[in-house]
Amino acid sequence: MAIAAPEQLNITEVSTWGSRSVDCFEKLEQIGEGTYGQVYMAKEIETGEIVALKKIRMDNEREGFPITAIREIKILKKLHHENVIKLKEIVTSTGPEKGEQAPADGNKYKGGIYMVFEYMDHDLTGLADRPGMRFSVPQIKCYMKQLLTGLHYCHVNQVLHRDIKGSNLLIDNEGNLKLADFGLARSFSSDHNANLTNRVITLWYRPPELLLGTTKYGPAVDMWSVGCIFAELLNGKPIFPGKDEPEQINKIFDICGTPNEDIWPGVSKIPWYNNFKPTRLVKRRLREHFRHFDRHALDLLDRMLALDPSQRISAKDALDAEYFWTDPLPCDPKSLPTYESSHEFQTKKKRQQQRQHEENSKRQKLQHQQQHSRLPPIQQSGHGHAQMRAGAGPNPPLHSSQPQVAGGPGHHYGKSRGPSTGPGRYPPGGNPPGGYNHPSRGQGGAGGYGSGPYPPQGRAPPYGSSGMPSAGPRGPNYPHGGGPYGASGTGRGMPGNRNQQYNWQQ
Amino acid sequence: MAANFWTSSHYKQLLDPEDVDVVHQMDKDRGITLEDFKLIKLHMANYIARLAQHVKVRQRVVATAITYMRRVYVRRSMTDCDPRLVAPTCLYLASKAEESTVQARLLVFYIKKLYSDEKFRYEIKEILEMEMKVLEALNYYLVVFHPYRALSQLLQDAGMNDATQLTWGLVNDTYKMDLILIHPPHLIALACIYIASAQMDKENTAWFEELRVDMNVVCHLISRPKQFTAFLDY
Repeated sequence: MAIAAPEQLNITEVSTWGSRSVDCFEKLEQIGEGTYGQVYMAKEIETGEIVALKKIRMDNEREGFPITAIREIKILKKLHHENVIKLKEIVTSTGPEKGEQAPADGNKYKGGIYMVFEYMDHDLTGLADRPGMRFSVPQIKCYMKQLLTGLHYCHVNQVLHRDIKGSNLLIDNEGNLKLADFGLARSFSSDHNANLTNRVITLWYRPPELLLGTTKYGPAVDMWSVGCIFAELLNGKPIFPGKDEPEQINKIFDICGTPNEDIWPGVSKIPWYNNFKPTRLVKRRLREHFRHFDRHALDLLDRMLALDPSQRISAKDALDAEYFWTDPLPCDPKSLPTYESSHEFQTKKKRQQQRQHEENSKRQKLQHQQQHSRLPPIQQSGHGHAQMRAGAGPNPPLHSSQPQVAGGPGHHYGKSRGPSTGPGRYPPGGNPPGGYNHPSRGQGGAGGYGSGPYPPQGRAPPYGSSGMPSAGPRGPNYPHGGGPYGASGTGRGMPGNRNQQYNWQQ
Repeated sequence: MAANFWTSSHYKQLLDPEDVDVVHQMDKDRGITLEDFKLIKLHMANYIARLAQHVKVRQRVVATAITYMRRVYVRRSMTDCDPRLVAPTCLYLASKAEESTVQARLLVFYIKKLYSDEKFRYEIKEILEMEMKVLEALNYYLVVFHPYRALSQLLQDAGMNDATQLTWGLVNDTYKMDLILIHPPHLIALACIYIASAQMDKENTAWFEELRVDMNVVCHLISRPKQFTAFLDY
């Protein structure tokens, strides 16, 4: 027993242990919401540091500490990377909090457990939705590069994120992007082929193999989501906004073509292939559909949105793509402008308030105009003509239609808030096939719309190119992005909700 | 777990034997000696293994559960946390952390079946409450590395695949002690191979030398024969 162990052992860190109380923090504002719990911006009283508190709800939990939270904690405790959100600590609430009832049986843990994260000012969706917001090409490249770097790190550490989407990509005011919400993540091993649940990833970002019901999959599922986000950044709106699984898969096939054994060997063996067997064959027309993207962007996107997961580009290879190494290069995150805090939850809330305001004025039969407006991408000069097409979309022109749209069935301001929403955001048929300018709705009063080949802002890319328009109103139906730090739970455009998943998710 | 052991919380939390072999004051006051302390933990490790056989989980889950239990008692007294409740709770938590969830009611059912003694009978609610205390005591570090993975790789490398069963059993037995809190798992695996080599009269000094590991550590590991064999015979 007396033998001294060599140095590399016994690096003891009898750290302080036991968790602190949530009372060490002062809640400032709610920034996210979901079935999982709420997310708050809070201040650590002792240091004044701003953090994000994600509440793990413990009541109604028959099987104790939720396994999704266990997964998330396990994974976050082992991932340390500048592009992955940092879990600082876990705190418990010792008693009933303000506005909450004391747990009847006196179990202090029923009050709640909070995960403490570093605070991030924005999420990508919230940022993109800011009125007047438009991203430049170097900015998009910068975000994409960070997204891929963080994801590559996860994949190297054998973690699948399984819920990549804009509202889970947090951005701080130094331009850093971090992956958050590992509530659906899990580790995988490449050697043994475990069966995993196919009910993951928000519908709009879900890859074809999951929609077809595969239970054996890998990092490629995340890369599909990245492709969707990439296209959304360039396109200005989600590219596959399906309202349910069949519609989702049709939207994908419509652009990426219908799969067959030649382009996707083994596809016919996937469980639900026959259920979704396309009635008519469609050729892949991704390149035509997005022909206004720059060539390197299109090359990369084409490889991210490969139907066959085994042919889909990996995060590592994507980082080597020409796109990131040709002018304009990705900018330094620090060179990006800073914005006032914006989370999808908040922008959504603001818009709801605005909607209410609008409804009020409508009731008063007042003339009103949609105040929120979308802006087109920062256009490349050579593509100025594309704007002409904007008005040619199948959509009815704008201002006049606004009030109706606001009441319309599928509209994002519709009131359906339940699970498996997803449909709303764009009215049916609001998806002009060719144009990259989003449908010309909601642009009333916009100063920026179609304002010419060069962006009005000072931060124009050297030679422009397509950019990101603010993606327009994201209504409450946006698949319950819920918010950053993944407070979101239900909805997500999938039939089951998180709670249901606990039991059978493998 | 897939991540690298050397960057893991498991590695950072390796302890000195002196820190593990500490009887908490409250327990001392009740007359519990260091020997008792070790023995109770041994009993609880057996309890966990027995329960695990009934609910049918992999050895890995058992190993993680025992590790949790041993970690808990580095920080908590047995007066505070009744071992008869901590043991099944650790199995419950480990089954979640290792992705082979066992329902709490199933555990409670088998506890009642296995033990007629009132003192072992705990209800679901108590397990769920203890789960939170265990999580806190573990400081939410749930990833544990075990010697099993290293073992099969090392055996292959040493050309000792015939010793798989023997060494696997030896590794299982190491959980009767606190070794997993003190040593990196691959060294535990190596020590088990060392013992197996001796038992099988297998000469592989050259192989051990080639590994360039500090054999002092390995020897130290098995140089507690008093404990080791005592526990093996238990």
